[in-house]
Amino acid sequence: MSALGQSVRPLDWVEKTSGTARYAADEPPEGTLVARVLRSPLPHADIRRLDVSAALRVPGVHAVVTAADFPEGRLYEHSGGPYSDRPPMAVDRVLYVGHEVAAVAAETAEAADEAIRRIDVRYRRRKAVLTVPDALAPGAPRLHERADGANVAVATAEHWGDVDLARTNASVAARGTFRYPRVNHACMEPNTTIAWWHGERLEMWTSSQAPHFVVHELTHLFGLELDQVVCRDVAVGGGFGSKSKISEHEALAAALSMKCGRPVLLELSRAEEFAFTKPRHAFETRLEAHADADGRLCFLDAVIDVDNGAYNHYGPSVMRAGIKQLGSMYRPDAVRWDARLVDTNLVPGGQFRGYGQPQTAIALETLMDELAEKCGQDPIEFRIDNSGLPDTTQLSGSQVGSNRLRECLAQVRDRIGWDAKRGPDRRPYRGVGVSSGMHASGSYAYPGGNTSAAGVEVRTTGDVVVRFGGADAGTGQRTILGQIAAEVLGVPMDRISVIMADWDETPPDMGAWSSRGTHMGGHAVRQTAEAMAARLCELGAEKLGTSEVALADGRVSSAADSVAIADLVDLADESADGSLRIDTEYVEPKMQPYWTGIERPNISATYAYAAHAIEVEVDPGTGVIRVLDYAAVHDIGRAINPALVEGQIIGGAVQGLGAALGERLHYEGGRLVNAGYVHYPLPRATTVPSIDVALIEGPEPAGPFNAKSVGEIALIPAAPALLNAVYDATGIRFRELPLTPDVVLAALQERDGVPPRKHHLARRPGRWQIGLFRALYPYGIHLLLDRWGTRFARRRTPRAVERVALPETVAEAVAELSSPDATVIGGGTDVLVQRDQELLFPTVLVGTNKIAALRGIDEEAGGDWRIGAAVTLAELATWAAERVPVVADAVATIASAQIREVATVAGNLGQEKRCWFFRNGFDCYKRGGVSCPCYAVEGDHRLHHAAIGGHRCQAVTPSDLATVFDALGAEVVLTGPGGSRRVSIAGLYAGPGELDLRPGELVEAIVLPAAALRSRGTFVKLQQWDGDFALVSLAACASVDTDGRWTAARYVFGGLAPKPWQPPRLTRALAGTVPTPDAVADVLDQDLSWEAHPLPGNRWKLDAAIGLARQATEQLLLGRTRDEE
Amino acid sequence: MAEPRTGLRVDGDVVPAGAPGATLLDVLRASGNFAAKGACRRGECGACTVLVGDRAVLACTTLAALVTDEVTTAAGLGDDAADLRAAFADHAAFQCGFCTPGQVVRAEAVLRERVERGRDEIVRAMSGNVCRCTGYRQIVDAVCAVAQSRQCFRKVSS
Repeated sequence: MSALGQSVRPLDWVEKTSGTARYAADEPPEGTLVARVLRSPLPHADIRRLDVSAALRVPGVHAVVTAADFPEGRLYEHSGGPYSDRPPMAVDRVLYVGHEVAAVAAETAEAADEAIRRIDVRYRRRKAVLTVPDALAPGAPRLHERADGANVAVATAEHWGDVDLARTNASVAARGTFRYPRVNHACMEPNTTIAWWHGERLEMWTSSQAPHFVVHELTHLFGLELDQVVCRDVAVGGGFGSKSKISEHEALAAALSMKCGRPVLLELSRAEEFAFTKPRHAFETRLEAHADADGRLCFLDAVIDVDNGAYNHYGPSVMRAGIKQLGSMYRPDAVRWDARLVDTNLVPGGQFRGYGQPQTAIALETLMDELAEKCGQDPIEFRIDNSGLPDTTQLSGSQVGSNRLRECLAQVRDRIGWDAKRGPDRRPYRGVGVSSGMHASGSYAYPGGNTSAAGVEVRTTGDVVVRFGGADAGTGQRTILGQIAAEVLGVPMDRISVIMADWDETPPDMGAWSSRGTHMGGHAVRQTAEAMAARLCELGAEKLGTSEVALADGRVSSAADSVAIADLVDLADESADGSLRIDTEYVEPKMQPYWTGIERPNISATYAYAAHAIEVEVDPGTGVIRVLDYAAVHDIGRAINPALVEGQIIGGAVQGLGAALGERLHYEGGRLVNAGYVHYPLPRATTVPSIDVALIEGPEPAGPFNAKSVGEIALIPAAPALLNAVYDATGIRFRELPLTPDVVLAALQERDGVPPRKHHLARRPGRWQIGLFRALYPYGIHLLLDRWGTRFARRRTPRAVERVALPETVAEAVAELSSPDATVIGGGTDVLVQRDQELLFPTVLVGTNKIAALRGIDEEAGGDWRIGAAVTLAELATWAAERVPVVADAVATIASAQIREVATVAGNLGQEKRCWFFRNGFDCYKRGGVSCPCYAVEGDHRLHHAAIGGHRCQAVTPSDLATVFDALGAEVVLTGPGGSRRVSIAGLYAGPGELDLRPGELVEAIVLPAAALRSRGTFVKLQQWDGDFALVSLAACASVDTDGRWTAARYVFGGLAPKPWQPPRLTRALAGTVPTPDAVADVLDQDLSWEAHPLPGNRWKLDAAIGLARQATEQLLLGRTRDEE
Repeated sequence: MAEPRTGLRVDGDVVPAGAPGATLLDVLRASGNFAAKGACRRGECGACTVLVGDRAVLACTTLAALVTDEVTTAAGLGDDAADLRAAFADHAAFQCGFCTPGQVVRAEAVLRERVERGRDEIVRAMSGNVCRCTGYRQIVDAVCAVAQSRQCFRKVSS
């Protein structure tokens, strides 16, 4: 059976599913040191002093490196020529927050951390440019000397085709300004390197997609020969482009090891990974699209500003790829652009799946929809009519062979049910949208980009070894190459193994980038395997005594006889050690290079196409977009491994959806705010639809076995299809990603002409002081507190835990807590995180899980229930499922099942605020003290901050249990040295996520009143992913009499105010009535007018609160309590 | 007062419990067991999921000193999970594989509960494990297939 076209198991499946695959950080060599990096805290500053001598004196420290340890003036090569602009470490000046100033290697992480703290570095702050407009403003400080203008790394203004003619033909136009933000790859494996300089060689275990760039850049930086650097074959935990070139940590680890001769492990933390790896470049694309009256696309005119960040890296080619797309997908008469790559004091942008094309695709594909509408045509038909054609040369120069975009579009129409879903019976707020996509299969972007090499080896055991010098970061390339070799040589997959990355074992290859893995690597392995097949046939012919032989099923056969290929190995003169090996280099004949003056080069040999269609539903009450259905149809040429192809398509589409719906890197003062998964809403299992994939296969003579690329293309159409679907659902054209609920809800309000809510602040003297303070923030308060106040910020000195106490009684626990250095630990799911975030350094941890009195849930006299503080959330949910379902419903929305297994009730109530400034190291008012600012006032406060009752701090209490317990009228039992006392939930909190405990006190239990178990309850929560903290939540409970009247009701909101918030008017108004959702909304609206004091960006939360209140009221009216059932 | 443990039982071996403040993830990796991955180390992604007893928990936010039950990593699941691992392979339910040990352990814990679940419930049960490669569908397909063969799959989700 042919190995091609089969969904064979990935070659590394056993290791990867059993946790034994070796990634870079696993199984470090004996004596491996741990490295840490000192990074700039400022976006732009001179380094006035840098003294590492104290760091070197820290016991256990073996090496410290700074820019002085690299050859003077040496820059990374990156794109080469004038584009090379980056030294391996900051030289005299830092250009972004995170810029590498020094690195240390030590015996332990603690020693390395201590050494970093001991480095004496002084900065003189310079004015920073943090946005493209700031960078282009007259007089803006310059990051580099650039030929194309101040802070303009590259400017290009050109056109393809006859612009004048195209404009003359056009009669219909659509235009818009589109913004695609910075997003992070968020690979599951953080960037990790072990570098070991020994025997005059650098041995690297590194998370790279392309050893080529690691080897070449390191030899260049350190003046080594190519054979002095080798990357070993390790598993790589995702790349998506981010690991396709050298990464800075690789050079630092190498430098450290070269200094001390020990292996050095440099593994980025997740926070570093988010903040300091190179994200997708943010684009602002102003695009005009023109068509003639018949709906023929005539002209595209683009003005593009790309945020380069502080260094070029590959920004010039990312911008070029984004432009190129405009002349590649459809058939306009002309395309004109004026594009700039602009330096800013932010972390540099990098390579990311799609490479510039997702950014311009949102503009192109939205305007294609708008033109279709203006021409009175169906969006799919309009695209089909304007689609590029097979066997043509596109305006951009792409010499396209096969192109089945039209078939993709036609098929996606059927698969999504386009006509029915856009028909007259459609439900309100539902819509469908479509987008096309295309991608090359590799590109001739650098010298050598048109070549790939492979080795194929046959052993006397019958095993076949494929040797390939690229790396597989998870795409399945290893398996694909194995399948191709198996096909050509006619051997079963279980005899095939593939060695990658390690150039001691393989010929060099440029690696996995630009969707070249299957095309270039596939051709190289095909060609080499064919050479091997020819050689085996030659040997077989000799052995069998006839020239009439064929190779099949691992044997060379003549009409009369056959011989196993294993038995031919030793017959070849060139065989050695039971192995016959052939290496060849493949040179792609169809590719043309960018840099040799060809005006419109055909940079790739084949082009893949796709059409995606999405159905969405928009919740007009909360602004939440739900993707109901998703169909992706791809012109793949041939799928060598259909399951892996589907995986690339689904994975890419979901990454595209993530960027469309929530992902975005938020910066404040040049520093990343959301440096963790918890604040970065990438797709979770519950937030994505089940994506329907269809493959259109057919000939593509230029591809290996007709295969075209699939690695990047699927990400591109996802966001535009979503934008078009949301337009179809709402009539609103969104032109900026991501479409978070705040953006959508605000736009719906604007569409409907809802006036902004008045908050009567003139008549609320209690808010005057805060109102004044906030008003003055932009006029100096923020600057003063940020620049000067933070110098006095309280900083906690890291201390190790000395002891874990495991008391068995509450009294023992209280005694342990008499020490101010002691902290209670329940499940540890927040305490240990706070330690990592440098918020808390207890030396004694007092565990509660051995205290039997805290572990139970018991009925008390009078029917109240007492829930022990150390009961886990999972136990609480099980207990509550039948008794108080609203509690179980709330618990089900908290974090993950794994967290709920161990997190305790008291721990949930007592968890610290989740404000992303506070948690991510900003010296804010709560972290640093009164001299420090609240960064939320001026910063991004749309999602996680208070709209009601904020004071100096704008954070909210994150506990969902607090919200639901408050609605149930629960009380909390606190026990300390002075005995026990009971407080309400409102009385439990001193501030956002801050318990009002007396010294030595702990939470002992929560008491649910008997009445709570008889009431109806519901919990609704607006969150960005299943398990997220509430943006807004509502627990509503009502006691209902036999006539259906609500005798008592409590609506308590989470996420709106520093503490759980109960609207006073609503509580009074509900009693004794049978409310309607409208009536609840009306009264709540008054409460919100009179009680709220939102920040400018979080007014939407008040509207979302009304949306939730309507939902909750409807559910309560339908609901039955346990007794009623 | 109970005594903190000095050793932990992991995949059939006993390993040192480490420093008082050590997390279970620290202890596992220091002992040479690399199956649990440190992708976030803040309880946000599920890549370090291990079984403590029969409960799937996050090794990165578990204080090793509090662990009393046997710890099982993906490497220690043994033949019990052979069908699950094969299903991950057959459905291409992993790409880079870094989240996979955590996904497999979590899925095994879900399946061992022997509670009948439909597809939507399996999605929810697995939602604490982030995957950046697959887009999740193939992971869910794999777990559903094993649920079916282990007779705890319900065709219709509730």
